[in-house]
Amino acid sequence: MSEADLVLFLEASVRLGVPLALAAMGEAITERSGVINIGLEGSLIAGALGGALAALAFGSAEAGVLGGAAAGVLAALVFAAFAVGLGTDQIITGTAVTLGGLGFTGAVYQARFGATGTALTLPTLAPLPIPGLADIPWLGSALFAQAPTAYLAYLLAPALWYFLFRTEWGLELRAVGENPDAAQAAGVRVRRVRVLATLFGGALAGIAGAHLALAHAGTFAENMSAGRGFIAIAVVALGRWNPPLVLLAALLFGAASALQFLLQAVGVDLPYQLFLAFPYLLTLAALAGWLGRTRAPAALALPWPRRG
Amino acid sequence: MTRVLARLSGVVRRFGSVEALAGADLEVLEGEVHAVLGENGAGKTTLLGILGGILRPNEGTVEIDGTPVTLSSPGDAWARGVGLVHQHFMLVPALSVLENLALGRRSTPGRLSRTHAHVRSDASRLMERTGLDVPLDVRVESLSVGQKQRVEILRALLRDPRILVLDEPTAALAPAEVASLFALLRDLAAEGRAVVLVAHKIDEVLAVADRVTVLRRGRTTLTELRASVDATSLVRAIVGGEAADRVSVWSPGQATAPRRARGQEVAALVDARARDASGRVGVDGVSLAVGRGEILGIAGVDGNGQRELALLLAGRLTPDTGSARIPDGVGFIPQDRTLEGLIGEFDLTENVALALHADARFGGRSLLRWRDIRTEADRVRVRFGIVAPGIDTRGGALSGGNQQRLVVGRELLVATDLLVAENPTRGLDVSATAFVHGELRQVTDAVTGPGVVLISSDLDEVLALSDRVLVLSRGRVHEIAEGVRTREGVGALMLGGADAVA
Repeated sequence: MSEADLVLFLEASVRLGVPLALAAMGEAITERSGVINIGLEGSLIAGALGGALAALAFGSAEAGVLGGAAAGVLAALVFAAFAVGLGTDQIITGTAVTLGGLGFTGAVYQARFGATGTALTLPTLAPLPIPGLADIPWLGSALFAQAPTAYLAYLLAPALWYFLFRTEWGLELRAVGENPDAAQAAGVRVRRVRVLATLFGGALAGIAGAHLALAHAGTFAENMSAGRGFIAIAVVALGRWNPPLVLLAALLFGAASALQFLLQAVGVDLPYQLFLAFPYLLTLAALAGWLGRTRAPAALALPWPRRG
Repeated sequence: MTRVLARLSGVVRRFGSVEALAGADLEVLEGEVHAVLGENGAGKTTLLGILGGILRPNEGTVEIDGTPVTLSSPGDAWARGVGLVHQHFMLVPALSVLENLALGRRSTPGRLSRTHAHVRSDASRLMERTGLDVPLDVRVESLSVGQKQRVEILRALLRDPRILVLDEPTAALAPAEVASLFALLRDLAAEGRAVVLVAHKIDEVLAVADRVTVLRRGRTTLTELRASVDATSLVRAIVGGEAADRVSVWSPGQATAPRRARGQEVAALVDARARDASGRVGVDGVSLAVGRGEILGIAGVDGNGQRELALLLAGRLTPDTGSARIPDGVGFIPQDRTLEGLIGEFDLTENVALALHADARFGGRSLLRWRDIRTEADRVRVRFGIVAPGIDTRGGALSGGNQQRLVVGRELLVATDLLVAENPTRGLDVSATAFVHGELRQVTDAVTGPGVVLISSDLDEVLALSDRVLVLSRGRVHEIAEGVRTREGVGALMLGGADAVA
């Protein structure tokens, strides 16, 4: 295995990890409020299509990122309206939003671009090497010659940690996820907090979707989210609902996917799918409590107010 | 002339078709300790919820400082100086004490700022002034019940309320803790605040209150100065004239003697140790034996291993080390009837079936004989006087006292050898408490009856019912010799462990 192979592997790990990191950090905030948004996949695919449409309309990839965020929020709003507003079951509602999102985006894509067969070409989110940092051997190009969305993920990790554990809003958010009755008694508006946390998660998932369309593929394809919304939910658990750890967990999942390139390059003929399973084993270990004491928010997935 | 801080008049509140309050009145004066009494379901908690901004009345008015107000959230009530301390603690277990205290205390400019620092200094100052001492940096889930309550009171006091409302604050406290809580409430009233508290025990009310209001079936039946009431007149107002004669008035601190030699041994622990759910040692080397036809009382402050001891004796937990000999016919009355005692969505029959499902007479572990179970459930309903339209009524639709009658009746069905009762009268009113006590005494009347283990943080209850008394403190038991079975002797042991008793 050459040094170049390894550098390529690290680069691919980060590139594949970034959309997971964005979606998972958003979902971590959502889950800290007691809402598990299984509809994250819907926000992701909506973000990919919204990103593609906005990038086309304005001729700029940056506008595409904003469009992706908006589309992600829209999908999350549908979920929040039912799951938080009406107190419907979060798992079933989320599944509906995911299936609806995949179907709806496919239909819009067909209607707008038809089955012409010619691939849609979009303005791309080009890598933006950071002068100085990108020249660090090995890790420099992997970490600091990425699309701008990667830098957003790096910045969000500590910012969201600070928000959760050091600010009053963060305290209220965590209280809502642990014991909404107590939060309400303390004067916190539980539903509002949950809706905002869900929309925030939708926005980041939308940006992750836009990243898929604009930084990875340079085009939109039906079902291109390919289950990343669900993977992100696993990433949140592995990252213990703590944004910096969630970022690391996402990069680990990214590395597992990137392993296929490395293995091809060095000519190992083990099926790479085996390695894809590895981070899930870690996630199960994390959920079982073998990797530390942090538990899921106590009120996760429970509709509020409870029905007596 | 004393100022009226709050006045609730003609308050009606319905939950679906049930009228929890049917025209209740409450007047709160500056500088008084005002006790609110009533049976379960009389509407006490609902009334306090309305004053605390949690519930809105369907009819009637709420005045604060002489102005009619609409309190649509707890925040509203706080803004007007009303602080509510809930019966079921409204704390977030996974957060630290400090974080719980900071919750909802919004620093006005810049909500994205660190607030813990000033909350810490405020809290420390308040703890010094009131003597309410709690460690600030531990998670609430690791605190004892008494400590959690201190956190609740601290949190309310941090907002400097003019009216402090406490819903059953003494339910889980040791006698010395009750005494210091009452001293604190008197101090707060002396500062010119008003203190409103719901209490069940009449002797406590008589000890602390300046005025008393009694609710019965959603209406105010009495508001009097402490000086013009006594235990008998309060009981009469609480349960209504016709029922008053059937209820014996509690005589605190009175201990009974063993009725006779206990019967054949039915259950035993030998040097048993068990951990609690979070892995801490709960029961730390306990040896004891239970005989037929006796009530073995286990006194102690909650959180000293009571939960694990109850689970061990009921056969729900196996000891980590040591041994447990538990008979087959065990009944278990868990302390939280809504969480563990019954399933709210199940009807009476299904709730009775929960205890009988493994019993061969009703089908054992295969197909259940529902017809027999229905007959049995109806027998329980009639024999234990459960007020419900029928056995198809949902468990959750029963009042607290009737839920407990159901749980006690059901467990007595299976308790042929041993009955483990964990705080069986917590939160129950006078007549439901008398019912449970009567059943426990009656079932142990004969030397062939089951043995009863009564684990309770209510010392008076333990002393009044038990043939023998043990104190559970920090996971170990201490036997109380008959001569020192006094409130003071046992109380000191509950708080201080073995060294406290000379």
